Amino acid sequence: MGEQLSANHSGDFMALLRAHGLWREPEVIPAERVVPAVQEVHGTTVIALKYRDGVLNVGDRRATSANAIMYDRAEKILPLDDYTLIAIAGSYARAMEIVRYLQHSFKYYARTQLQEMSLEGKLAEVSRALAGNLSMALQGIGLFIPVVSAYDLERGEGRIFFYDGMGARFESVEFGAAGSGSERIRGVFDYILKTKGPFHEMTLEDALRESLLLLDIAADLDSATAGIEKVLPVARAVTSEGIMDIPEEMLSDIRASLRR
Amino acid sequence: MVYTPYDFNESVRHRTEYIEERLRDGSPVAGISYDGGVLLLTLRRTQRKIFEVYDRLMFAGLGNQSDLEIIRVGAIDFAHQEGYARSPDDVTIQRVVGFAISPGIKRAFGDVLNAPFVVRALFAEMGRKPEEDLFYTLNYDGEFVSLSWAAAVAGTPEAEEQMMRQLVPEDAEGAADLHTALRRALRAWAIGRLWATDMHLQEEGAESLTEERIETFLREQLQDLQVEAAILDRFTKRERKFRLLKEDEIRPILPE
Repeated sequence: MGEQLSANHSGDFMALLRAHGLWREPEVIPAERVVPAVQEVHGTTVIALKYRDGVLNVGDRRATSANAIMYDRAEKILPLDDYTLIAIAGSYARAMEIVRYLQHSFKYYARTQLQEMSLEGKLAEVSRALAGNLSMALQGIGLFIPVVSAYDLERGEGRIFFYDGMGARFESVEFGAAGSGSERIRGVFDYILKTKGPFHEMTLEDALRESLLLLDIAADLDSATAGIEKVLPVARAVTSEGIMDIPEEMLSDIRASLRR
Repeated sequence: MVYTPYDFNESVRHRTEYIEERLRDGSPVAGISYDGGVLLLTLRRTQRKIFEVYDRLMFAGLGNQSDLEIIRVGAIDFAHQEGYARSPDDVTIQRVVGFAISPGIKRAFGDVLNAPFVVRALFAEMGRKPEEDLFYTLNYDGEFVSLSWAAAVAGTPEAEEQMMRQLVPEDAEGAADLHTALRRALRAWAIGRLWATDMHLQEEGAESLTEERIETFLREQLQDLQVEAAILDRFTKRERKFRLLKEDEIRPILPE
């Protein structure tokens, strides 16, 4: 038992997993052995918007593999801890694995070190996990792109960060989005900003309405995005009070008002 | 020199005496299930004593600080590896205490060339209902006991027995609320501490433990010590169920 202690003073969960052979490094396969037949399941459009009390995340629920719709109840908005949400697009398998890793990594740090990991520390941990995924991504599988939303308790505001597949992190002022549908609706975000004002001044209801409309447009333009009609999207918000699941009734009321 | 079975017995006896002498004066820990979760309570000087182990697991103990720290980190390491490699549902109190922690403690106790753990530890696991909550008490020799509704660790086994009577009164029906659980736990703490440290009391018997005597003793103790209480919250929507109670949540149960 003493040895376990000395190996891991820093609360580093990856070090603990490595020490016990539980961390699976993605394997680099020589180019001639790469079989392109692997069809991954992908998640599609996720949106993060600032609003008055924090950050709202909305994601459609479709998971696709090539042309096939695999699943229409996929959860792409997940809590990493009580003040951090992750929205995932891309390889579903790898994303879920890394989300599980990150959830444990944050908890492990807080419990062993008796203090919360800083926001900066959490963001760096996301980068590290993405960088560790790179060898797979280069082989054309396992690539996923997260959007991280956090409530910064020190600054008293919601913050949005988006990443590239290598782990580079960028902070966004008003909104973030990822997935195949997000590229097509990029201009719509700017249109809303210029015609209706900044997202961070909106009420939860207004921000929800805009985000559902954005998802609806994404679904019109991108076959991999389910939109809002068949199954309600998942919506979660992060505020100074922690994470809030947006109730289905609220979503279906807003959806009804959009149909007119 | 030849090492005989007699020497082994003798050395175990010495170790036991050595450990129990050091534990006697320790601050007891009371654990109790209530309707909204599980509560652990103790009194401390400055160092924190109640710790979160995993989503539904917490831990506290008395004895040597660094020994408790080894158990704490060992339990957290095991729980998180298992929770990640399998699932959070597979992290149970019986696996953590029975398989991850107790064998190492037993080994240290039996190894006469090494220092034994000087600890009595209390683990608590929250279920969906109070009757599903579980407590494990773990002794310095690696022995552990599983209990429902309440558990206690104190300076002596007799003191623990006295505490249990307070924690689970004979007329108790179902699960208490948090306020009642806190009151019972604080009273149990006082009785456990008194019973382990006051020689006269053990001769006089439990009848001499009047309300007044307990109150006076608590008032004295609270001059240098403060109450630490933590819960696992059954109904919170938060990811973290564990929470240390705040001062204003504890104040109502303290003697005037």
